[in-house]
Amino acid sequence: MNNNLSILIVDDELSVRDSLSNWFIEDGYSVDTAEDAKVALKKIEAFNFHIILVDIKLPGMDGLELNRRIKSINEETVVIVMTAFASVDSAVQALKDGAYDYVCKPFDPDAVTHIIRNASKTIQLSNENLSLQDRIKNLVNVEDIIGKSDAILNVLEQVRVVAETDSTVIIHGDSGTGKELIAKAIHMNSSRRFFPMVTVHCGAIAENLMESELFGHERGAFTGAQYARKGKFEMADGATLFLDEISTISMKMQIELLRVLESKRFTRVGGNREFQSDFRVICATNRDLKAMVNAGEFREDLFYRLNVFSIIIPPLRERIEDIKVLSEHFVKFYADQMNKPTKYIDKRAAKALKNYHYPGNVRELENLIERAIVIGNGDTLRLRDLPLEHVAAKPTWESIQEMELHHIKSILEKYDWNISQSAKALGVDRVTLYSKIKKYKIEKVK
Amino acid sequence: MSVIRILPLQFSRVETLAKMLSVISNRFGIETILGVQRFDLTPFFDPVRSQYNANEMIQKLVPLAHEDDKIVGITDLDLFIPVLSYIFGQAYLGGSIALVSGHRLENARYGLVNDPEIFHARLLKCIIHELGHAYGLKHCFLPGCVMVSTTYVEEMDQKSDVFCRKCQVELQQLQM
Repeated sequence: MNNNLSILIVDDELSVRDSLSNWFIEDGYSVDTAEDAKVALKKIEAFNFHIILVDIKLPGMDGLELNRRIKSINEETVVIVMTAFASVDSAVQALKDGAYDYVCKPFDPDAVTHIIRNASKTIQLSNENLSLQDRIKNLVNVEDIIGKSDAILNVLEQVRVVAETDSTVIIHGDSGTGKELIAKAIHMNSSRRFFPMVTVHCGAIAENLMESELFGHERGAFTGAQYARKGKFEMADGATLFLDEISTISMKMQIELLRVLESKRFTRVGGNREFQSDFRVICATNRDLKAMVNAGEFREDLFYRLNVFSIIIPPLRERIEDIKVLSEHFVKFYADQMNKPTKYIDKRAAKALKNYHYPGNVRELENLIERAIVIGNGDTLRLRDLPLEHVAAKPTWESIQEMELHHIKSILEKYDWNISQSAKALGVDRVTLYSKIKKYKIEKVK
Repeated sequence: MSVIRILPLQFSRVETLAKMLSVISNRFGIETILGVQRFDLTPFFDPVRSQYNANEMIQKLVPLAHEDDKIVGITDLDLFIPVLSYIFGQAYLGGSIALVSGHRLENARYGLVNDPEIFHARLLKCIIHELGHAYGLKHCFLPGCVMVSTTYVEEMDQKSDVFCRKCQVELQQLQM
């Protein structure tokens, strides 16, 4: 239990060093001792002790000065100051200088056991905290967002640039393009990442509840308000406030929102007390806010307040290059999640996925793949697993030449590039087929 | 062949110790005998604390132990080590000497009626615990094991006088 914790005992009395060493060794700690500050500092510089017990009265540098030196080497080290001559002044000084505790010798066995156990818990919590911070840092990395098209790479570059600032961001994109994911990426790469991203789905909250949702309310503010409740502005103090579907809020709320965004001050519904909150706003919309401003549906002043930095996520149909990598990512993700052997996507399925126009964007692609993994079997996702057979069957080209090119290609693939069989199936001779292949620059896919 | 010697050092209830010998012998698999030794304890008295220095007593007892023997000194005196206000017992890991005090094991000390059985049980647990250290065992964190660290008697009453499976295995390895 204590095998990973090390203790250094600094005391000029050999009997104290021996007694304490023996006590802690029996508890399973790794223990070392030093008879004065000079020896202690040498050992501290060479080895990272978790807990250091320091006697105040030491030859040369005293324990209070040693405590300060230890803290300057490693602020995280737990220092427990011991003395046989307790005084309020020395205790206050030790604690002011960052000592964890101050104990008078001789101490009860119970007291020392508790101090060390509490110190161990503090160290454990501190380590846990660091490890959780590391994990949070890795939750949404910009690099984790899938896509290799110029359009998405440009979006990610914008995310990197704006994340470091505290500017308000507005994310435009059709439904299912991943606006919330981009908002999370901005938040998780900002200095506010150790606080939560507080999300308000504006479109999902009834207008009469919106005020209470954002501002909170005091007890008795309205019928049913039995308890005081914090609003999202308050909850987002130090954090990021993500307002999704901002275009759906009423004109009245737009005025209120503008006022809060400018002053960062507000009162709860039914209350007089003014609160201040330091939050960063990221909002998202699938509508053209500028057009809404022109149509008088959205306040111009709020639009300009929000539109400090604008990110536009293009629909999936405009970044066809991303379909392949996204599909492969979702296949791996859902196959792992459902413990299915699916690893590959066959050519026809890949083609259908590529040709589809995705009105529901990435969310729709994800759902298609998830469904295909559920109903499919074997290690390859096939066209029949997707509800897209009509897409594969229905040509999307318009000119006769395009149609001829695709038809020749599909026949060649069907007969595995056997020219004689393909030519026979097409009803032309081999020379004609060769000239068509040359004309359309058709190449065998390896 | 090694033995465990239980040595009363100003301890009034020797008959209690006699009853424990077979249990101690059974726990450690080693013959346990009651020893007699004249030993002057006055040099270890600290007049400021009105207690006896356990570390110094142990140092003086070391020459009495033969090669693989263990000696457990039992006393009615109140023991301390310099940094702690009191101790129930003391032993060095892998050392040959253990010390146990019955001074703070009596119910009367805590305002309760004395109970010889409770005293006997506490003393036995202390002896086995300190002997465990003398054989090289560290504190155990499994509730009930005799090697659990206890700093007050109520805690001591919670644990048993036997080793948990892990400590038992470790003890056997240390004794080899």
